[in-house]
Amino acid sequence: MSFEAIVVGGGMMGAAIGFGLAREGLRTALLDEGDRAFRAARGNFGRIVVSGKGVGFPDYTRWSRLSTDAWPGLAAELRDLTGIDTGFRREGGIYLCFGEAELEERARTLALCREEAGDLGFDFEVLDHARLAALLPGIGPTMPGGTYCPQDGEVNPLLFLRALHAGLRALGGATLSGARASALRADGGGFALTAGGETVRADRVVVAAGHGTSALARQLGLDIPTRPERGQLLVTERTAPFLPLPTDRIRQTREGTVMIGRVAEDAGFDDGTTTARMAGLARDAVRAFPALARLRVVRAWGCLRVLTPDGLPVYTESARHPGAYAATCHSAVTLGAAHARLIARWIATGARPPAIARMHEGRFAPAKAA
Amino acid sequence: MSARALAGPDLVVIGAGPAGMAAAAEAAARGLKVVVVDEQAEPGGQIYRAVERVARERADDLALLGEDYAHGAEVARAFRASAADYEAEATVWQVTAEGEVAFSARGRSRLLKAPSLVIATGAMERPVPIPGWTLPGVLTVGGAQVLLKAAGVVPEGPTVIAGSGPLLFLVAAQLVRAGAALAAVLETAPAANYARAALRLPRALLAPGTIAKGAGLMREVRRAGVRIVRFASNLGAVEGRNGAVEAVEYGPAGRRRRIACETLLLHEGVVPNVHLTRSMGLAHGWDPMQRCWRPALDPWGNTARDRVLVAGDGGGIVGAGAAEAMGRLAALEAARRLGRLSENERDAAAAGHRREFARHLRPRPFLDALYLPAETVRVPRDDATIVCRCEEVSAGEIRAMVAMGCLGPNQTKAFTRCGMGPCQGRLCALTVAEVIAAARGVPVPEVGVYRVRPPIKPLLLGELASLDEG
Repeated sequence: MSFEAIVVGGGMMGAAIGFGLAREGLRTALLDEGDRAFRAARGNFGRIVVSGKGVGFPDYTRWSRLSTDAWPGLAAELRDLTGIDTGFRREGGIYLCFGEAELEERARTLALCREEAGDLGFDFEVLDHARLAALLPGIGPTMPGGTYCPQDGEVNPLLFLRALHAGLRALGGATLSGARASALRADGGGFALTAGGETVRADRVVVAAGHGTSALARQLGLDIPTRPERGQLLVTERTAPFLPLPTDRIRQTREGTVMIGRVAEDAGFDDGTTTARMAGLARDAVRAFPALARLRVVRAWGCLRVLTPDGLPVYTESARHPGAYAATCHSAVTLGAAHARLIARWIATGARPPAIARMHEGRFAPAKAA
Repeated sequence: MSARALAGPDLVVIGAGPAGMAAAAEAAARGLKVVVVDEQAEPGGQIYRAVERVARERADDLALLGEDYAHGAEVARAFRASAADYEAEATVWQVTAEGEVAFSARGRSRLLKAPSLVIATGAMERPVPIPGWTLPGVLTVGGAQVLLKAAGVVPEGPTVIAGSGPLLFLVAAQLVRAGAALAAVLETAPAANYARAALRLPRALLAPGTIAKGAGLMREVRRAGVRIVRFASNLGAVEGRNGAVEAVEYGPAGRRRRIACETLLLHEGVVPNVHLTRSMGLAHGWDPMQRCWRPALDPWGNTARDRVLVAGDGGGIVGAGAAEAMGRLAALEAARRLGRLSENERDAAAAGHRREFARHLRPRPFLDALYLPAETVRVPRDDATIVCRCEEVSAGEIRAMVAMGCLGPNQTKAFTRCGMGPCQGRLCALTVAEVIAAARGVPVPEVGVYRVRPPIKPLLLGELASLDEG
């Protein structure tokens, strides 16, 4: 089999880039693993976030903002193409603070982040308890406040992923599922990829394989260090709408279930859960919205974010093998529109978005001795 | 973590059905400190549900439910008389990697830690996804039997029982005795099953009780004037004007037959309830005769995880009598692992229970062959038939996901919400796997299974939040 482009990785990032490449007119294949891969995409909380992203690295704030601005167009396109409504909404989002000091720190951080980002930043409002209660009527009496950002939003991450896969197929792309890519090498003017005993050839190859990216990219001479960071989440049964805006750790889905998350821990490649963390999530959620205590939890799960040493994305083309790209990030929902549009265009045409100029793996290389 | 766990027991038994009760009584008799955790208000599990109350207060019901059920009262009595502690109305929602048993009772969650664990979570009815199976008025045969045991209630109006399995004619007879208006029993076991079963009949007849009892029940139901239809295929529940079931249809296209009913009771056998053992990441094997998954066990019920044992139908369908024997074997092995019995003492104590276990298993190959559910029962042909009740996902939607490249239930779930509701796939897991396997043209084991995560039963967020408060 031979394609103009092959994307390794059927998760949120690979599927967005693959869909984007098909949209650019390239004959594209998306290589996806089997039913039980790690799949960070399934741990995604579904928030689209600009506020507070990229403190000290304003390009990341701008990149997030560019993506959120491109989101309405992407959501509409996917709906028209596949009939799938991804549940995209951009009516703002709230960050909940559980203490006064946390609230002050949050306000300072956002102000700094906004200033650094300049014209492609975000707006925000610091909310005291009364203002927070006005926006979120169910908020608990002991919650000191939070922040609101009108550029933040939300989407159903699973429907988004499904729409990307369906969209890719609608544009003539192929999905090759069930095989893990094992070997990747330059082959003539293109690349040869071995997966599950078969070899697929393509003019361009994009590695966006989550926790598998590091090892595959190395075969192309790219050194991209990543590590897993575990998040844990809870989800409840459905209930009547009570939460009009998504918050950073509690979000009500359109179906009515309530997602509760926000754990960051190093557990290696163990994607399990712990009773202590589950209980902690439950306690915070009940403090934030006391009525949640009466809702039934139906599932807890762990998921492994893909983190680079500085937590920022990598988008890179191999200097040794032009046409080979690698990409990794841990905010593939927020950045989904940027991946489907701007990253795909870069790979298809060479037009690199200025915001990602410094988001290559070179920043992790040890300083060369003089 | 263990500082918060209740101190003390040597053995936690999850489930108070025949296997759990027997395991607890046996272990307690060997000097182990035992805690039994069970969901129901009274011991008995599903098979002996409410047996203490029925034996005490409802002599008529005890008679009509039959002697096998009445035996449960003796098992419960022995369990009550033992030194085992008993946490009733307590729902286990997780067993952690460290062996802590997390459960909720009376609005609070607690952790229980013991050096050994016997899982006796029993069986559940196999889903029967025929067209219309989610209509009001369509229940399971097991569900109807629970109502009869727990409350002496029989279905109202004309009732039809349809399906296959040893429970079918037992419940039919019990309902007839209890005065239900049973219009018909439709047997779905295909003709080919009878041929396969016949080869296994001689061995089954070595334990003549089972076969004779089954034949007797069938005669009793027929004599009561109930119509019995064999080889009923392509069942469908028909929706009436009021939105509830008004009839059942069966037979090949063009020769469909119809029987009016207000209640339709479905049953295609029982399968091990493996939700807990799955959530613990234990190895399971596909049982091609019973078309279900079962945890990998040695003859004592040991799993691959140290001092975690499984007894009873949760380890593979064996029936109540064998489950009881298996519970005792698991308890003896747990006592040996804790150093309370030597290997010789264990073996000597086990010999009688092993013989009992083997005796109960003799008819099993015959029953498994006779009651193997037909493919048309396991894989809905009609695209509109619901597979996942919680999220109302149809067989057609699942097949569409396979066409899009989904290889197994986890991807299908992510894309359709199939299995994402309150039951978390407990009910639909087998059907989803069968549908995907048929659509891909591969055996079920190749399709894989849902990743089961805690809580294995829903619990209130407030209960979960209470865990840390001590």
